[in-house]
Amino acid sequence: MAQTEKYVLNMGPQHPSTHGVLQVQVELDGENIVGAKPVMGYLHRGIEKLMESRTYVQCVPFTDRLDYVSAMNNNLGFCMAVEKLAGIEVPERAEYIRVICAELNRIASHHVFIGSLTNDLGSATGMIYAFRDREKILDLFNIICGARMTAHYIRIGGVAADAQDEFLRDTQKFIDYVPEMLDEYNKLFSGNEIFQARMKKTSIITKEMALKFGMSGPNIRASGVDYDIRKIDKYGAYGKFDFDVPLGKRGDNWDRYMIRMKEIAESAKIIQQALDNMPEGPYMAKVPKVLRPPKGDAYHRVENTRGELGFYIVSDGSTKPYRVHIRRPSFVNLQALDTMCKGMLLADAVTAFATIDPLMGEVDC
Amino acid sequence: MGTYFELDKLDLLKAQFDTAEYDAEQAEPALYIGKEQLLDLMRVLRETPTYSFDRMGMLTAVDYKDYIEMVYSLYSRRYDKWVTVKVKLDRDNPEVESMTQIWEGTNFEERETYDLMGVKFLHHPDLRRILMPDNYEAHPLRKDFVPLEPRIEGGVLTWHKQRSMS
Repeated sequence: MAQTEKYVLNMGPQHPSTHGVLQVQVELDGENIVGAKPVMGYLHRGIEKLMESRTYVQCVPFTDRLDYVSAMNNNLGFCMAVEKLAGIEVPERAEYIRVICAELNRIASHHVFIGSLTNDLGSATGMIYAFRDREKILDLFNIICGARMTAHYIRIGGVAADAQDEFLRDTQKFIDYVPEMLDEYNKLFSGNEIFQARMKKTSIITKEMALKFGMSGPNIRASGVDYDIRKIDKYGAYGKFDFDVPLGKRGDNWDRYMIRMKEIAESAKIIQQALDNMPEGPYMAKVPKVLRPPKGDAYHRVENTRGELGFYIVSDGSTKPYRVHIRRPSFVNLQALDTMCKGMLLADAVTAFATIDPLMGEVDC
Repeated sequence: MGTYFELDKLDLLKAQFDTAEYDAEQAEPALYIGKEQLLDLMRVLRETPTYSFDRMGMLTAVDYKDYIEMVYSLYSRRYDKWVTVKVKLDRDNPEVESMTQIWEGTNFEERETYDLMGVKFLHHPDLRRILMPDNYEAHPLRKDFVPLEPRIEGGVLTWHKQRSMS
């Protein structure tokens, strides 16, 4: 047996496979990982503090910059929390448009997941394919609101503009393309032997561990816990659609990947139903020009692409929020990183970073 | 978010804990508790089968200038119920028992609250700053926060109180 000595290796903050400016201090014994400590704060902009000096309407663009690959979901969470606080009823058409946008954004975000995961595993082709298809969704957002990533389309009381026929037609075209797209992905990498060998039975998170760490989103569902806020809370128009919550069994990297592949299909199912039953009517509620929610606090959570995104807003009766707290799913999920990496090889750490899918804009807030 | 915790159960808790209080006028009243009884209350909320609040949904602190208020939002997956628990803390020396003793997954959120609001969590396994630099000596989410000035001293980034304009 060779004599080994423990040492610490810094991965990041400038490292291509830590997905942004995440730094992980990996403790190694030879090539085996003994511990992994995430170090964050490199992208901390103090969004919670910044919001305290802006009006409620001015706060919405900040939420785009939290989880910048699923901006629509963040807009939705913040706007719903303010609506809850101020008691604003949202028109039905707006609810439907919101669901379409949020689900499209979920698919786009899963594209980033698939793309970066395959890239990290050494297949740059996978990234090109996933980003090619993500571009189709970003083009749809370009039609509906003129922005591709930081959309700022969902507003307090509804949406910024009505969904044009062009947008609805092109969304239908994209939904028709989804089965073909998934088929292509499955042929390209899901069936790949090396890909499977790297993913299966690595970085296992058991059901108990996932619950213990307070994880949420696809990561907890991959461990077999049926926890989807869209299903539980039925917020917005989600109660009206029929969709399944895919669950994993083992909670390994492979399950976390497959859950997202299945979720793309489910999201497409939701969008199809929303397109078919799209009601007519106004797209914006009557919101006062100067919004002054009554004194009090409200907490609202939505199912973001990465899990349970919650907004806690305290109002002192003025035009600006007194305090905003954002419960960010990737921040909480990162607690599992140490357990995921322990006992794995250094090369597997990269896979673990990719499948836990942290987004530093959200982690650092 | 499902439905709010029933008022009669809140009454039961009020009988059990002498510092527990809630405002019956409100539709979804938060349960206020003294900080000495917080840990016991949380254990009861989590472990009693008829409550089983197994998930700490959100944890944060709010600076109300006279005092600091901890806010906990608990969720029960079994009964689809949620409840808000609040604790008032002394602003000059905010200290409260760490919830990591019951929910291990509150570790990072408590570190964040410590970092940005300056609340000390007792019996926390690893209470360090998480977002701000380690040598930063202010808590940005406090209402009286003034940004510190960065300066490089001997090749090290240090933080100093701003010099007055006069």
